[in-house]
Formats: sequence, structure tokens, C-alpha cells
Amino acid sequence: MTPDRTLDCVGLFCPMPIIKTKQEMDTMKTGEVLEILADDPGFEKDLPEWCKATGQKLIEIKKEGGLLKGYITKTK
Amino acid sequence: MKDKMTIILFSGEMDKAIAAFTLATTAASSGMDVTIFFTFWGLNIIKKTRFTIAKPQMLMQKMFNIMSTSKLPISKLDFFGLGPWMMRKLMKKSKMASLEDLMKLAKELKVKYIACTTSCGVLGLSKGNLIDDVSEFAGAMTYLAEAKESKINLFI
Repeated sequence: MTPDRTLDCVGLFCPMPIIKTKQEMDTMKTGEVLEILADDPGFEKDLPEWCKATGQKLIEIKKEGGLLKGYITKTK
Repeated sequence: MKDKMTIILFSGEMDKAIAAFTLATTAASSGMDVTIFFTFWGLNIIKKTRFTIAKPQMLMQKMFNIMSTSKLPISKLDFFGLGPWMMRKLMKKSKMASLEDLMKLAKELKVKYIACTTSCGVLGLSKGNLIDDVSEFAGAMTYLAEAKESKINLFI
């Protein structure tokens, strides 16, 4: 899958990755896919919860060593 | 209708304020309406300047008004200001958002601020002494009306 955009949150702590994800999604079109890179371990649980709360679609979140890669689709 | 969160920010310490604003900005980012009710020491967080001297302020009120956002203490290991200085250094080094960063974000995310008029009266603060982001000046009843419809309510 090729994301439409990539958001780099490496080095940032809670709540910044979630807030930046929200702000980035606000500027995107429905159907587009956002890739988020983060290394705050809490983000692995926080991103799925954020998607549940906002109704955005989580494709997957994967771990590559200490790096988390989240993929979400803008549904609305 | 959107879910709602209300926070009573009673404390005037930097660490507690960061906790409150972390939750407020996160809630606002996930589509909730967030209201923060500032009362007592919490008012120090939304003051424009330190040493706020409003017109007919008594000496005791002046003494209570020596703190503002840039000079807030921390709740543990304050060491007369050395603690907050070290905390800011550590936070900057680890790229953690500062209280000022979080407050700027809160504004962008339309977090609503209410200042308690009773506390303002006790501390001798008027509208002009507080930052412009404060949209309402009200009392306990207004807070209760907001809290009644909110799903999450915190006292910090």
C-alpha cells in the first residue's frame, strides 16, 4: 500500500502524535491514506483508540524495532 | 451531539497544568468539546503577566499574584524555582511539549476557558488581567450546567 502522505512524529511524546495526526487528517481528502511514524510506545494503543473515537479507519499499526508505523484511511 | 469533557483546573502548578492540557488537547483532537473551568490557583495559568497589579488591589492580593504561566512552580521538588527550571530543560531535551505549546494547541482546537468570578474577586483579578482566550466569566452554576452534560469530568 502506498500512503498519500507521511507524518513524522519520531521523537515526540504524547499528546503530540495524536494531535498532529488529527491536524494532518483535517487537511486530507476522504479516502486518502496517512502513514504515521512514531516512537512513543504509547502510540501503539493510542492510535487505534483515536480511530475508534473519531470514526476514522485503522488499516494497521506495525512495529519495526522501536519504530511504530500506523496506516489510517480518512473516512469522513 | 458531540461528547463533552470538563476539567476544573484548581491547581497552579506547571506539572498539573501540563497533565490537564495534555488531556484537554487529546480530547479535543478526538472530536470532543472541552471546557476548562479555572478557579483559585488555576487562574495563575491564564494570567497575562506575573505580579498582576490591578487597580484597587490590596497588599495581600498582590502577594497572592506573584505567579503566572512562565513562572509556575511544580508540585514536588520545587526547590524555590530550581525544580521547574530543570523540568523545562528535561522536557525540552526529550522534545516533550511545554505548557505554552499545549496552551497554543488548546486554542487552535477550540478548548473553551471559563474563569471563576469568585476566585477572581478574592485575588483581585479583573478581565483585563487574564489572557484573551478566556471566553466566559462565571460561577459554579455555569460549571455545573456544563459538567452535567459531559461524559468526563476531572478536578486537577
